This record gives sequence, C-alpha cells and structure tokens, in this order.
Amino acid sequence: MKKSMLGVIDATMLPGEMAELAGHRSPAAIPFAGRYRLIDFVLSNMVNSGIQSVAIFPRSPYRSLMDHLGSGKDWDLNRKRDGLFFFPAPAKEGQFSRLAEHLDYFNRSDQKYVIVSNCTTVANMDFGPTLDRFIKQDCDLLEVTHNGEPANIYLLSLELLLTLIENRHETGYQSVQSVFEDQSSSLKKCQYEFEGFLKRIKSVSDYYQTSMELLQKDKWSELFNEFQPIYTKVKDEPPTNYLEGSHVTNAMIANGCIIEGEVNHSIVFRAVTIGKESSVKNSIIMQKSKIGSNCTLEHVILDKDVSVEDGTVLRGTAEKPLVVKKGSIESAVASS
Amino acid sequence: MAKQKCVAMLLAGGKGSRLKELTESLAKPAVPFGGKYRIIDFPLSNCANSGIHTVGVLTQYQPLVLNSYIGIGSAWDLDRKNGGVTVLPPYSESSEVKWYSGTASAIYQNLNYIKQYDPEYVLILSGDHIYKMNYDTMLDYHIDKQADVTISVIEVPWDEASRFGIMNTDEEYNVTRFDEKPEKPESNLASMGIYIFKWSVLRKYLEMDESNPDSSNDFGKDVIPAMLADELKLIAYPFKGYWKDVGTVKSLWEANMDLLDNDQDLNLFEHSWRIYSVNPNQPPQIIGTEAKIKHSLVNEGCVIDGEIEQSVMFQGVEVEAAAVVKECVVMPNARIGKGSYIERAIVMNELEVPENTIIHNHSDDILLITEEYLAEHERRQSRVEEA
Repeated sequence: MKKSMLGVIDATMLPGEMAELAGHRSPAAIPFAGRYRLIDFVLSNMVNSGIQSVAIFPRSPYRSLMDHLGSGKDWDLNRKRDGLFFFPAPAKEGQFSRLAEHLDYFNRSDQKYVIVSNCTTVANMDFGPTLDRFIKQDCDLLEVTHNGEPANIYLLSLELLLTLIENRHETGYQSVQSVFEDQSSSLKKCQYEFEGFLKRIKSVSDYYQTSMELLQKDKWSELFNEFQPIYTKVKDEPPTNYLEGSHVTNAMIANGCIIEGEVNHSIVFRAVTIGKESSVKNSIIMQKSKIGSNCTLEHVILDKDVSVEDGTVLRGTAEKPLVVKKGSIESAVASS
Repeated sequence: MAKQKCVAMLLAGGKGSRLKELTESLAKPAVPFGGKYRIIDFPLSNCANSGIHTVGVLTQYQPLVLNSYIGIGSAWDLDRKNGGVTVLPPYSESSEVKWYSGTASAIYQNLNYIKQYDPEYVLILSGDHIYKMNYDTMLDYHIDKQADVTISVIEVPWDEASRFGIMNTDEEYNVTRFDEKPEKPESNLASMGIYIFKWSVLRKYLEMDESNPDSSNDFGKDVIPAMLADELKLIAYPFKGYWKDVGTVKSLWEANMDLLDNDQDLNLFEHSWRIYSVNPNQPPQIIGTEAKIKHSLVNEGCVIDGEIEQSVMFQGVEVEAAAVVKECVVMPNARIGKGSYIERAIVMNELEVPENTIIHNHSDDILLITEEYLAEHERRQSRVEEA
C-alpha cells in the first residue's frame, strides 16, 4: 500500500530571509546538521515511507542541488522502474503551472496518492500513518501540521492533483496550499498533527536556532535514529582527527576534520580545520572551511570554503549570527 | 570482454588466526582498521587510484562479510561495465570441490578469469597489508626493466628481517635468491607480497606448478624459486613509505596508533590518494558537555561523553560519562559503560562494557576485550573481593 504514493518536492522556494545562505544555491541545498542538505530530510522521509518515485521541481540556481542528488543512488532511488526525477521548469509562477510542464510524469505514474512537500522542512517522519489516516477518514486533501501550524506537506490522490492542474485556469488555484486554504472549497479536508521534532527553515534565524537546538541530545535523537536514517550524498572523508591540545565539548562534528583548538556548543561540517589556540563558540562551520590559529569565533555561520586567517576575531550575536559568504577570506586586519 | 593491459588478482582468503577472535567470523582482509576502513580498502583503493579497474578478489575463509562488503565494487568506483571487481570463490570441478591450497593454486584455478581479458600483465596482491602505493608506477618500472617478474620490496630493520620473505639482489636490484624467513638474513629487502608478472610467463609457470605433485602451490616457496632456477629476469622494486602487516592483535593495534602519529607517511587526509570504503551513513559525532578528547581519531555516529586519549573510535561507539579510554582501538558499535577505565586494548565490535569495569594494562601486550574476557575479568574481580 505504501508503494502507492508518489513524492513531489517543490524546491522552487525563493530564498527570502535565507538569502545570505542561499545566494548561490537553492534553499533545498543549504548544508545542515554537519553533513546533510535541507532536502535530505524530506527526501529520506519519502524513501523511508516506501515511496519509490520522487519528482523534484527546482528553481535556478540548481547546480549544487543537482550535484548533491546525482542519480539518487545515495537514497536508493537509482531504479530501473521509477526512481528520482528532476524537472526544471521555465520560470513560471504558480506550483500547478510548473507541474503542468511535466504532466507526462503524472500521467505515466500508476501510484494512487501523492505527497506534495516543500524542500526545507526538517523532521524524521514516516508518511505511512498519514496515508492510513487519509484513507480511513476518506479525505480529499490532507495537511500535515505541527503544533497546529501547517508544515506545508500535503497528501491527495493523483487523480485530484491531475484535475487541479488541468483546471488551474478556471479555478484560479495556484498550488495545493491555496486549495487547502480556500474555505469555500467543497473538498473534504483533513489535518494530521505530527508530534515529533519538526522545524520549517525559512530564515537565517530559523536555521541558526534549529541547528543550535540539535545540540540538545533529546532533540537530536528525535531527528536521527537507526531505523529511519537520514540519507545524504556520501563522501570518503577519514575519521576526524583530534590533535593534542584540542578541547571539544557539546558539539556535533562531521568526519574529515582536523581540530587543534577549542570548540564549544557548535556544529562543524566535513573537512574543516581549526588551528591552535583558536576558539569556536555557538557557531556553525560549513565544510572545508579553514580556521587558522589564535582566532575567536562566536555566533558565526561560516559558509563553505571560508578561510579565516590567524588571529582573526569574528562575532555575531545569538539573535543575529554573523554569516560569512562561501569562499571568502577573513583576515585579522579586515575584521578589526 | 575488451582487452585489459593489466589485471589485478587480490588474494583475500587469509584466515589471520593470530588475530584471534577478531577473525572468528570474518576473513583477515575484512578486519576493521583506522576508525572506518577494512584492511582490503587499502589494496582496492590503491587499484582504483592507480587506474587498474579490473580486479579479481579471491575469497575462501569466512567470506560472508567480505562478499557483502565488496558488493559490486561501487565504493571504490570499481563497478564497471568492462572489468570492475569480481569476487572469485573456490568452485567445484566435475567431481570434487577444489579449495585453494596455496596462493599459486588460487590463481591457477582462476586462469579462465584472467584469460577473458587477454592482459599483458598480471598484478598479484594480498589483502593483509596497510599501505598506499601506485601500482601503475611499479608497472612502468616492470616494463622499463623488461622483467619477467617484478617483486615489490621494502627495507626492514635487520633484526626483524628473519620474520619476512627476503630477496637477495645485486646492485641493479636483480633478484638472485629468495629466502623465506631466513635465520641468518643476507639482505633486509622484504617481499611485500606484491608481484607483477608477464601474463605469458605466469600462465606457463602456474601450469607447471600445478602438475608438480611435490609443490605446496605457493608463490614465495614454489613459483618464484622455479623461475629463479630457470634464470628468468626477476627484479625487485624498492618501495619507500608506510607498509605494515597487521597479522597480530599487537601489530593491528600498532598500525592504528601509527595513524595518530602525524610524522609517519600514512596520511588518510591526502586528497589525491583517497582511501575509499563503504560508508555506513551515520549522523555526525556527538560530543557531550563533559567530554575530553585528546590525540584521537573519531568516526561518525559516535557519542562521546567520557574521556578519550590516544585512541581510534569506529562508527557508532558510545563512551559514557566518566569513562576513560586510553590507547585503545574501539571497534564499531561498542559501548563503554559509565565510570569504566580501559587502557592499551582493542575492544571488540558490538561489545557492551558494563559500568565501572576497570581494566589496567601495564604489560607490553595488547588486550583483546571480548565477551569472554569480560566474564573472566568479572570472575577474577569477585575472587579478589572475597579474599
């Protein structure tokens, strides 16, 4: 029965308040939690729910998103039948207009139901119980909520989705969300409250707060468990090397790092180096960034490949973390 | 099959009995190493990085873990339409199952595998050693010297030479004699168990060896001496760099500790010569508020709340609060209970070390902590308490 669902991930979200992190990439491809990208969560949830056909609708720039997803192998979606589909659409507004560009995909699919999701919801969720509820209550359209707030994840029949796409000009509906929000619609609408850890990342502040929350073990273990693993693109980094003099506490650390300094209450991505006598606190350091010696970083988000020269001090605040753009070089002189 | 210039044959059937319980249920090449690897990752990654994409892996002893680990070779980029990795188990011939009786007979029984690629050269490797090596450079040397056989050698300390197969050579590195574990070594060039043969020569000598009922079917003991007797051109290829046989609990531990020494030559962080492995997809490591980690390698999926010093931690290891792990190798998914203390040991995978288990080790030997060891340790402790 689970195999009867299609997955649709709408990755056309505009960066909005996440622009600082999404300038050169789709919000779906923003690195998160040490080794993942935001899209890994919803994509893994679909795979763990038995969904074998997933269609992703991206918006330009999508180079990093495509590079990350590849053939879908890391999610076990490189299939002869079904698998992962990537459907770039012309820059049209409206979800239904973009889906209409690839109507063949929906016409050729024989699955009965469709999950339509946004690309930046962080959760570990099995859609099986959602489908059970949908069938049991004889719903037309179901919305997943968390603490009563919409999670921007919908479930409906493929038949209804096709009708909504075809009649979009007559009805004026632009998206599944707009259908759900229309009080006058005669469709039977249901809600499904998800009780685990769930966050929608829509701003740099959401991103930072959620990341820091994951340093609490109970939150972390709600998101990561061995039965419903979150998959991501595999890299061949060696284990992380903690050198003499390193002092790491309350941190989430990925592989391939070389740590000689101090790290506290922070998230460190793959292949980061942190030099002697440097201190990293309440910060997020993305992959391949290099922090020299005698640096102080507090409330900072370093994007990928940032180079921080010896003796540099970078400080943001808990409310407004300092975001350093991908590939930039921070020197002691510039920051003083 | 398209012709391949060079086919590699990787001998991975070794039992590794001196590794004790570590090889009870898996072959030596599948033994975990370095926080995330298995020993066989080294020769397989060397092949991939050297541009040798046709690799036959000969398995025999406890092949289940090894077979499923190798799969279709995608972890090493060896899932190829042409060539790629092929697992070659012993098979039965008309009336009898033919186990691989020696290294040479293992290759002999798979001559048909090699034939289908019609190679010019065959590279013989073993799955027992930790090293990084460019086999393509060795092949260039072999071609340049117009040798029939090239044997990779490494200088070992003179006082250890009697533990190895020793190559005696002239100044030009022409091999004059081969001594297996000589009491009085006359050279300190040890064979690394890496050979490149001209395919035509290999085929002829393997067929001769197989028809000789007195042969033990071993490359070092039988095939190489027969070639020397026939005055073929055998040449030694001097290798410089890190190379270690991890055949005992102690040498396996030492090789792991070598990774923590930043001055040695085995750099896992080198981008141009990555060691690939099957990645188990674990979340990042979680380091608690009271944790202390010094001079250690820690893999993904670990949860560290205690203290680690000079140790190598595989994926999924948990070190609970107030536990201390010193100079240890902790295998995948083991858990060190609260308040425990363990030093100079290898801790078996999946092992649950109960709270407050205190294991000191002041001896030169390295402990292998298993279920049985813990049970015995507990009995001894309770006897001490009674007395």
